[in-house]
Amino acid sequence: MRAFFQRIRDSVFRVGWPADERKALLAMRSSFLLHLHAPKVRPASLRLAATWGLGLLSLFLYGSLVLTGVYLMFYYIPHPDAAWRSMGDLEFVVPYGVVTRNLHRWGAHAMVAIVLLHLGRVYLTGGYKAPREANWVAGVGLAVLTLGLSFTGYLLPWDQLAFWAVTVGSKMVASVPVIGDAAALLLLGDQTVGEAALLRFYVLHCVVLPVALTGIVAFHLYRVRKDGGLVTSEHAPEPTEGPRLWPAWPHLIYRELALLAGMVALLLAASMLFNAPLEPLADPTRTPNPAKAPWYFLGIQELAHYSAFWGGVFIPAAAIGALIVLPYLDRRTAGLGRYWPPERRWANSVFLFFAAFFMVVTVVGTFFRGPAWALMWWPP
Amino acid sequence: MNDEAPLPRWTHVVFFTSLFATIAMVFVVLYRDAQRPVELEQRLVAALGVVDRCEACHDAADHPGDTLGLHAVERFGCTVCHGGQGAATTADAAHLASPSWERPLFTAAEREAACGTCHEAATLAGAPALSRGRAVLAERGCVGCHEIPGIKLPEIAPDLDGLQDKVSPAWVRAWLADPGALNVDHRMPQFTMPDEEIDPIVAFLFSLEGPALTPAAEAGAPDPARGRKFVATRRCATCHRIEGRGGGFAPDLSLAGSKLSPAWMFSLLTDTHRLRPHTRMPGFRLSPEEAADIVAYAAEQWVPDTAETPWTAFSPEVKRDLTAVGRFEFIEHGCPGCHRAGDLPRAPAAMPLDDLGRRRVVDLPLADGAAMPDLPSWIATKVRVPTAFDLPGATPSLMPAYRGLSPDDALAVGIALASLKRSPLPGDYVIQSTPAQTPPAGPAGALVDRYRCLECHELGGQGGHIAGVPLDGEGSRVQRGWLLRFLQDPVTIRMDQSARMPVMGISESDADLLTDWILSSLADPRITEGEALGDATRGAAAYTARACGSCHMSRGAGTMKGPVLDGAGARLDPDYVVTLLRDGPAVVPGERHPAERLPGGEARDIATWIAGL
Repeated sequence: MRAFFQRIRDSVFRVGWPADERKALLAMRSSFLLHLHAPKVRPASLRLAATWGLGLLSLFLYGSLVLTGVYLMFYYIPHPDAAWRSMGDLEFVVPYGVVTRNLHRWGAHAMVAIVLLHLGRVYLTGGYKAPREANWVAGVGLAVLTLGLSFTGYLLPWDQLAFWAVTVGSKMVASVPVIGDAAALLLLGDQTVGEAALLRFYVLHCVVLPVALTGIVAFHLYRVRKDGGLVTSEHAPEPTEGPRLWPAWPHLIYRELALLAGMVALLLAASMLFNAPLEPLADPTRTPNPAKAPWYFLGIQELAHYSAFWGGVFIPAAAIGALIVLPYLDRRTAGLGRYWPPERRWANSVFLFFAAFFMVVTVVGTFFRGPAWALMWWPP
Repeated sequence: MNDEAPLPRWTHVVFFTSLFATIAMVFVVLYRDAQRPVELEQRLVAALGVVDRCEACHDAADHPGDTLGLHAVERFGCTVCHGGQGAATTADAAHLASPSWERPLFTAAEREAACGTCHEAATLAGAPALSRGRAVLAERGCVGCHEIPGIKLPEIAPDLDGLQDKVSPAWVRAWLADPGALNVDHRMPQFTMPDEEIDPIVAFLFSLEGPALTPAAEAGAPDPARGRKFVATRRCATCHRIEGRGGGFAPDLSLAGSKLSPAWMFSLLTDTHRLRPHTRMPGFRLSPEEAADIVAYAAEQWVPDTAETPWTAFSPEVKRDLTAVGRFEFIEHGCPGCHRAGDLPRAPAAMPLDDLGRRRVVDLPLADGAAMPDLPSWIATKVRVPTAFDLPGATPSLMPAYRGLSPDDALAVGIALASLKRSPLPGDYVIQSTPAQTPPAGPAGALVDRYRCLECHELGGQGGHIAGVPLDGEGSRVQRGWLLRFLQDPVTIRMDQSARMPVMGISESDADLLTDWILSSLADPRITEGEALGDATRGAAAYTARACGSCHMSRGAGTMKGPVLDGAGARLDPDYVVTLLRDGPAVVPGERHPAERLPGGEARDIATWIAGL
């Protein structure tokens, strides 16, 4: 009998418990999940400050969002008559409905924030430069997809918050010159946010965008290894003593597990302490004043307040365009792998200036804009 | 493992702390969820889109009153009448407001308003405030400015054509500035109008031509003393307040002498409906002499007008310009909503209120620092103080003030208005008001209109409520000869009623026609014809034994709480008396006879005895 189970275990895990280095290397090569890592890593990669674990946390958060999202899909009905009531069902009758929705909501906000921080980390350390240009572009695409996933998910509760945030968001899309109206129509399937928009957002949120994201994530991870691992460790000085490379098991894997465990604990704690917001049923005749987009778009909404085209369309589009073409224009290779190298002071200052600018307008749009988008102090 | 590079301490600390914390939290989540009741009583009313879980805690069998007998919980659920969040499974979420559920359980006022969403009739037993509110909405002329479904504007405002024949410009100015100073019972609300708006309106009103006045009587000198007597014998005080007494339904006549021109008054009294086709006043048959006497009596009360009359100072050109402005102001203030004037259409000028019940108080302006009221209370405040919720800097509300509206009536109005929802309620839930009866046609119908019978009497659920008993079934209750005499000379039957039928001077031929119409068309099928007679002696004994005299007066004994029975032998149809005594007062709506039912034989005996009175 014991041999029977042994055979099953051996068929799945080709290598037993990696008790020595040889077995650890074998395990890293033969396991599907582990082979995404190099069997041996540079010690500089293991420093927390090398990445702050941001990319990995993004991936973990995505995984948790898929899991909680599937559970929510069991109970959710993407129709204006039933969507908001589904939220009530989750709150009142579905087992673990509240905590699952909270995990999904806070996980989504955390993922948006951490993906953007990840982008900033890679930029500051010059991770977009050759040979990582294509992976950088894929990463920018992942950031955009993350925002798209969050935005499409925002509509699904079909409460006032969702309805008006998406109405504002689709107005921004429609303000794009030439193609704006067509794009908004394609997104909403109607002139206004309604039944068609809800179904489209649902399909995008649950099928199209996750499939795209999963595919690009696979490419992204593959290219991380093929492009030589972390830029921060690649350019770090060789250790003067000890081995040049350390086995990924246990040094890397344990660190990753700790991050995963920490993230799960924090997310769960947040989900038990704070409930995801839910406002009254969407009512197209009742416009909140002001109607605000999701927080990560409030910087853009704030800019659009000054000029619909320049602030709402040109600046965001130019920012994304600049991020995409950046690696093909900035080809100097000095100062890579460090956060604040003298060679990259100018490049990093420009980036930090824009990041700070976006943060300021986001904070203003979130906290200091009252009815009719008038400036106000918070709390009022 | 690799001794040269041990794992850093934080890996273990973070990993195990998080792991234990996660496990602990998962147990808390599991424990919390286990506290949820596994079974829930749930009431699904698909037709209303209602999912009510109230019965998880409340037992419908404990519902007080017999409301559920008419409103089966299977068909209505709970939240339709009680509000709250039916789908909730915790007491707080079900009863209280929250960010996702703005309306807590209904207050008593909101519950009554909820009745009105399905029940469209003007009066609804069990919802007195709702019914009162709907009556006030009609009486106060709210429907003149606001479109309110189910409520028709009664003829409460006079036609303004020919106003120049009726009153002086000074009087109209004073009236527009403060109607309460001229008539404490004024029904027209108080508009906030500066003089520069009043003058053009007066100019406009005095440009409207009306029907020509009837030429004054030539015969004899009018005698005010005779006029005063006529006013009493004609019972004008049934509707008008005269010398401080009576009235309530029509304008106070105490000051009529100083308000109305004698020529106009004379025309109104002698040819009422030619001068005022839409008035609620019956067409009295007065001789010119009688009318002249009454006018003389009114003129005796004339109070000299001390207000200066700037009217004469206006040159014709100024007046012409003012008229155009006045027409605009007249429309702007919504006056054509209630008054007919010239060719102006009667269109509601203010916002329609047919969906007011759907408004949420959180969206409405509130006085600073005031607690959040329920919707009926908010409306009540707005009705009592129309400018209460004006936003600073905004144009003040044009709505006039309804002074003298009691807080109870204001709340009743709030309840009636909060019941209005343009809702897709399934048709079989809506209890429509009784379809309007067509008024009687033909020559009898013309007389019913001339004497304005239905202003006081109810018929087929329509008409007024001034007279105590509806006309339905009257043809089966009384005898022809008595009715013929009564119409010409209405004696008072019910001494406890303050409203007494005016003496309109119905001619014999008119009375004959009306009597025929009442006897043939207004029979009550529930009153059985041809009851056998009983024994009058036994009837007299039963009358005494039943203590009928504690309400009725007969042969000089008894009280006057009920109708006097002396002479009832000629008045009442014995079949009706038998039916009333045997089957109870339900055969006559509004009848206040004791509900006790007598055995058939006893009823026949008493009826036979009464027939001999």
